[in-house]
Amino acid sequence: MIDLFLDIVTTAGILYVVAVGLLVVFGVLKIINFAHGGFLTIGGYAALITTELHLSPWVAPPLALVVGIVLGMVVERLIVRPLYSRPLDAILATWGLSIVVVQLITIGFGRGTQFVMSPLQGAVPLLGTSYSLYRLAMLATALIIGAAIAAILQGTRLGLTARAVIMNETLAQSLGINSALVRFVTFSVGAGLATMAGALITPLLSIDPLMGVPWLLNAFMLVMVSGTSLVSLALASLVLGGAQVVVSTYGNPILGALTIVVLAALLLRVRPAGFARA
Amino acid sequence: MAEAALRLDGVTSGYGEAMVLRDVSLTLLPGEILTVLGKNGMGKSTLLKTIMGFLPPREGRVHIHGRDVTRLPPHRRAGGSVSYSPQDQAIFQDLTVGENLRLGLRSDRGAAAAVERVTAFFPFLAQRGRQPAGTLSGGEQKMLIMARALLSNPRLLLIDEISEGLQPSVILRLAEVLRRECAARELTILIIEQNLRFALSVASRYAVLVRGEIVDGGRVAPGVEARIQDHLAV
Repeated sequence: MIDLFLDIVTTAGILYVVAVGLLVVFGVLKIINFAHGGFLTIGGYAALITTELHLSPWVAPPLALVVGIVLGMVVERLIVRPLYSRPLDAILATWGLSIVVVQLITIGFGRGTQFVMSPLQGAVPLLGTSYSLYRLAMLATALIIGAAIAAILQGTRLGLTARAVIMNETLAQSLGINSALVRFVTFSVGAGLATMAGALITPLLSIDPLMGVPWLLNAFMLVMVSGTSLVSLALASLVLGGAQVVVSTYGNPILGALTIVVLAALLLRVRPAGFARA
Repeated sequence: MAEAALRLDGVTSGYGEAMVLRDVSLTLLPGEILTVLGKNGMGKSTLLKTIMGFLPPREGRVHIHGRDVTRLPPHRRAGGSVSYSPQDQAIFQDLTVGENLRLGLRSDRGAAAAVERVTAFFPFLAQRGRQPAGTLSGGEQKMLIMARALLSNPRLLLIDEISEGLQPSVILRLAEVLRRECAARELTILIIEQNLRFALSVASRYAVLVRGEIVDGGRVAPGVEARIQDHLAV
């Protein structure tokens, strides 16, 4: 039972790390960035490159973060910004971008499955059991990322202007806030969080050009039931991720993989606001 | 002659194919208070949105303090010493009173002194800094809007129907603050109103907008109220 509890909370942490970049972009830009899965994959391959270059595995997450932020800047400026007035086209463009990313990675690295070094090996004794140190580190990472984003949003002027743009962009503009700059920074940070998440999850699974697709699907559904709230995302990750673990453990892992999508769809049917405040 | 604080030259503007403002020209000198009056749907709010850049004019030019701002985005006009209080959704309901006020400043430098200056007009704001702005009463929200608009020491203030739905005592307070700010530092104000008595108690000049065109205007003087009423009754 302790193992099940630890599986649930660490899975929630992993899902939070994967989805938080998508939520940040959705909150400010009001579009779902379907290139999120592609950015996640790029992060995974950034980790692979550090392994192949025999660099420390600790280099992978910050490297992926920087790569993601730079790519996010380019994508926002060239692809997303011209389509802000056509949100549906912007979403389709990010979907198209994710396909391009998969193809380019396939050309560069092949279709095969690959593995990376983990910066943390083995298990540690905890609550009377022995548990994966890396999964526990992912939980801690999720808490740190959540706390850092909350601190920026609540404690800085940049965060205040971002919240103002989220709540009422027209009013924010009338107060002199450059909402285009806020969107640019937000998209770039969201992309960086996605690539960093990709690098962080790779020690737990294999890498292939399509690795981002199932994570994108789960992240998308988690954001749909969370709105723009970091707290709601944490709650959704815990509840839906917990259900996934329970179904996978006591039922069938294939059904488990569908759990988040199915439960999120049912939740939205019953309560359109999901875990967010109505 | 002093450089105009605001000048519109033959501005035509609207939404899509529908033109709401037609060939509007007006000039405000520094320190003047102009009220634009008119019934609902005559283009008053459209006029302010066009001045702020939310609606690009189909024809004509907008100049603020001598600078042609016709193609500037709204945030750059606001950043250039213009404050705008829209009629609807003019506060961030989920932010605190203090956060709403901070957003009225271009940066946090010197924020305490600036906030102290405007909360002297509306002392309750100083005690309610941590309260969500959406929980204030309608009158208190309007005072918050006014305080935020004055925080950045604007040289041009655009106000859209600030008196709507307010108690007479609050309206009197707002009028007093506007007159005082205008006299103290040559603030130029364009105020859109339907409340004729409030508008004429504040303004030095008036203009009447009918179907997107300015049909009358001049200095506020005794007897002008009846003349304006004739336009509004049409």
